[in-house]
Amino acid sequence: MKVSFPIMGNSYVAFKQLVEQIGHEPVVPPLPSSRTMTLGTTYSPEFACIPFKILMGTYLEAIEKGAELIISSGGHGPCRAGYYGEVHQRIINELGYKTKVIIFDSVNMAFKDFFKKLHYILRTGKTSWWQFIKVYRTVWDKLLALDEIELLAHQVRPYEVEKGKTSEVYRRCLAIMDQARTRTQIKEAKEACFRLLQNISQDKSRKPLKIGIVGEIYVQIEPFANLDIQATLGEMGVFTKRGIHLSEWWMETTHQSHNEEKAVAAARPYLNQMIGGHGILSVGETILYARRGFDGVIQLAPFSCIPEIVAKSILTQVSRDYGIPVLTIFLDEQTGREGLRTRLEAFVDLLQQRRQKRLGGAVS
Amino acid sequence: MKAYLGVDVGSVSTKLVVMDENDEVLESLYLRTQGQPVKIVQDGLRTLGEKLGQYVEIAGTGVTGSARNLAAVLVGADAVKNEITAHAVAVSKLVPGAQTILEIGGQDSKIIIMRDGIVTDFAMNTVCAAGTGSFLDHQADRLKIPIEQFGELALRSKNPVRIAGRCAVFAESDMIHKQQLGHAAEDIIAGLCEALVRNYLNNVGKGKDILPPVVFQGGVAANTGIKAAFEKALNMELIVPQYFSVMGAVGCCLLAKEAVRGKQTKFKGWQAAEYKFQPTSFECKGCPNLCEVIQIYENGVLIARWGDRCGKWSNAVVKVG
Amino acid sequence: MGVKIGFPRTLFYFIYFPFWHAFFSGLGFEVVTSRPTNKLSLDLGVQEAVNDACLPIKLYHGHVAELKDKVDVLFLPRMVSVRKLDAETFCPKFLGLPDMIRNSIAGLPEIIDEKVDLARGFFPLWKLGLKIARRLGYKKDWHTWRAFVKAKAAQDKYIRNLAAGVPPQVAMETAVTGEPVRLPDVPVPDLNLAILGYPYLIYDSFVNIGLFEKLAQMGVRAWTVEMVPPHRLEVQGKNLSKHLFWHFSNRAVRAAFYYLNEKRVDGIIHVTAFGCGPDAMVDKLMELEAKNRGNVPYLTLSLDEHTGEAGVLTRVEAFTDMLRIRRREHESVVSHHG
Repeated sequence: MKVSFPIMGNSYVAFKQLVEQIGHEPVVPPLPSSRTMTLGTTYSPEFACIPFKILMGTYLEAIEKGAELIISSGGHGPCRAGYYGEVHQRIINELGYKTKVIIFDSVNMAFKDFFKKLHYILRTGKTSWWQFIKVYRTVWDKLLALDEIELLAHQVRPYEVEKGKTSEVYRRCLAIMDQARTRTQIKEAKEACFRLLQNISQDKSRKPLKIGIVGEIYVQIEPFANLDIQATLGEMGVFTKRGIHLSEWWMETTHQSHNEEKAVAAARPYLNQMIGGHGILSVGETILYARRGFDGVIQLAPFSCIPEIVAKSILTQVSRDYGIPVLTIFLDEQTGREGLRTRLEAFVDLLQQRRQKRLGGAVS
Repeated sequence: MKAYLGVDVGSVSTKLVVMDENDEVLESLYLRTQGQPVKIVQDGLRTLGEKLGQYVEIAGTGVTGSARNLAAVLVGADAVKNEITAHAVAVSKLVPGAQTILEIGGQDSKIIIMRDGIVTDFAMNTVCAAGTGSFLDHQADRLKIPIEQFGELALRSKNPVRIAGRCAVFAESDMIHKQQLGHAAEDIIAGLCEALVRNYLNNVGKGKDILPPVVFQGGVAANTGIKAAFEKALNMELIVPQYFSVMGAVGCCLLAKEAVRGKQTKFKGWQAAEYKFQPTSFECKGCPNLCEVIQIYENGVLIARWGDRCGKWSNAVVKVG
Repeated sequence: MGVKIGFPRTLFYFIYFPFWHAFFSGLGFEVVTSRPTNKLSLDLGVQEAVNDACLPIKLYHGHVAELKDKVDVLFLPRMVSVRKLDAETFCPKFLGLPDMIRNSIAGLPEIIDEKVDLARGFFPLWKLGLKIARRLGYKKDWHTWRAFVKAKAAQDKYIRNLAAGVPPQVAMETAVTGEPVRLPDVPVPDLNLAILGYPYLIYDSFVNIGLFEKLAQMGVRAWTVEMVPPHRLEVQGKNLSKHLFWHFSNRAVRAAFYYLNEKRVDGIIHVTAFGCGPDAMVDKLMELEAKNRGNVPYLTLSLDEHTGEAGVLTRVEAFTDMLRIRRREHESVVSHHG
């Protein structure tokens, strides 16, 4: 079968291999563009959030490329994202396509359903469970490697001497990673990418500001949705750390890691209730960033995102209590980056001035 | 001869039409409301009275538009109807067989789906006026281009710029940004037309079954750039009827004709143009809602009130309509 | 005791107030509500709430702001769930509501924000009542039980009245005062419309600009979510492969199925708050169902703080005009078939 999946950051490089090695033909949708956006907004409900619309557009572009099956992740609410698949499927049917959308909800909440769907995909791909475990391990390595490379790129970028160099090298890294297939190859490719990134000429005398990024998972991870905010800030000489990477998210949902618990515990005095999405984490991670001495926090949220609106109303108080500036950016169907750049520059200026005040103005 | 008067008072423009028994338009006026509906409706009446008063007898009147209550009092209306029904009635008469009506006015936009001459579905824009006439006027003003030339400029563009258009604020800031980048004016205008059309189709037209023949009316239908953008997006030709800017008023004439069958009209006569209408308002302190109650005096006599949510005031005088 | 307990007259008030009113009164407290939504509560809400919030959440802020100085204790329960259905809860904004209020409004009295989480059956409700009573310094558990039983009865009666089509204000008054129901006079209806949406939009005549009164005057019989017999509503759940996550949304969608499948109505009006998150999904589901189940006319009525009477009237009038003209045409075609 021709199988497709959503584009979310760099993960498509790993998913492509996963689909391939369980015996299906991967259809990698085009990276989200303004055409994706136009398609998505045309067929989505007006007040669906931006992730819904970009995914809708991506699915339709995948269908144009012949996708017969789309695999995506779901959830159990109360954030809307867990119900996307249901509505996407209906809209796809309404438009007269036969393509099926298979949604994987969390392993723990819907164990049987999860394995039933997985079994169907493996059976149609003529892959045994045994083979699948092997493939899963390899792809997992790849996903981790991709995230590590991205993290390193964000670390290097504020120091780069030649503006835009890091992003250029990073794109090359993705191509290199795409070639790697076995676990050994992946390890070698990763090391090669690390070297490439480390060899970018850097000015180590700089003291970059540190900004933590919190908010809804999709707009944090997908550069198209957040207008490439991390690269933009990096090229302004700012170090950014975001709350979530896909590999971490997977570790959390399968209970192999416990970073989330720390954030939830930190949020407790302000918000003592899971409200779906990443709402509580936006509050908790802001507090953790403040404790770790970050200069500021940016909250990224889709326009009309429910949990993030709750978080925003609480973050004003957190910002006061911890003395950490928080900038909330609601993202929507806009192609103009200028408005965002203006706000980012103003925010960075503000953080610079605060830092100089703290250091007694001794920095020229 | 017998004729019917239709009045459509919108927030931006006021339209008056007189039609004869055979549904032929005798006269039509398109005036700017300028926030003074009373004065403008009276001006319109005066103009029509001078032109037609000699040989026409008004047998029925219909009013529509956001100020229909007010208009009903000013002229004495036999039919008071909402704009959707009025527009649909006009189209089924003037463009028989039409299946879709796209209507874009000064502050409002609508889509009406018709099958076999009957409205089967409709939608109106939400609060936002992006993609309506006033927004276009505002942008033309900002770009220092007369709105009349907007259309032909857009048609000249070879590469329209993509402009985000979910709402006026976004569209405007995006436009400014594209200007700063140095795009040509005609490409920006064409891009704006496309953004407005996209916005209309995604907002008002979402999920609607748009089938030809498609009629395009309302003040914005004069803009060839928007028409072309619609034709490109829908991939079908649009019909712009002869009386595209006054269709609501045309519909009112037809509704008036239906309403007065065998009855005496409530029309106050052309002399109503010279009556002294005095709208006043007061804030009712009866409850925390603090309703703004509108009252109309005709030659010193209170004839109508509206605007109160509870009906305490409006029920105390003759009901409007 | 004379302790005044404040209950904002919005959101879940329209469904659960009779219970809490009877419960607190039964314990000898004085229950004070904010005034019915009005311009003041709207202005206060817009002023106090985060500006990205939807109208209902802004209104809740407004009602709390109006109440806070008139009472000793504010009752702002954290509505998490009221039944077991997959992972059903209330909208995330409901879940975070007490925290939003605390971080937005200054000078609040003591707040009771106990969790209402009944996914594990009915027993937790009694435990919750007991907890709240004790927290308010009420020691006689036996009396608490008596108040609880009365509250339950008052609530059941209110829901029965709503189901019988008693107008919400009348049903609420009856529930609170214990007077028998007296129905207002309206013209004989010739159109049946399902008016679906959340109680805090449907039953608040300020927010929906007197929609029900207008419909009654236009000769429309309005059918609501609460008028669907509970067991029939339950059955409609089978039409969705996955339940929605939000309690009121599930009820609204199921009611749409009911009115499309079992009790045919002439049309459906979906009343929604501008920018409501769950409704972006709900509205699409309803619209597609109405289309696929015999093309039942469907109108979305979106309300926000700028909604004017003219806007609502124009849409509803046009909708009823359309249905009546349609019917006339239809009758002239089929009349000779009897």
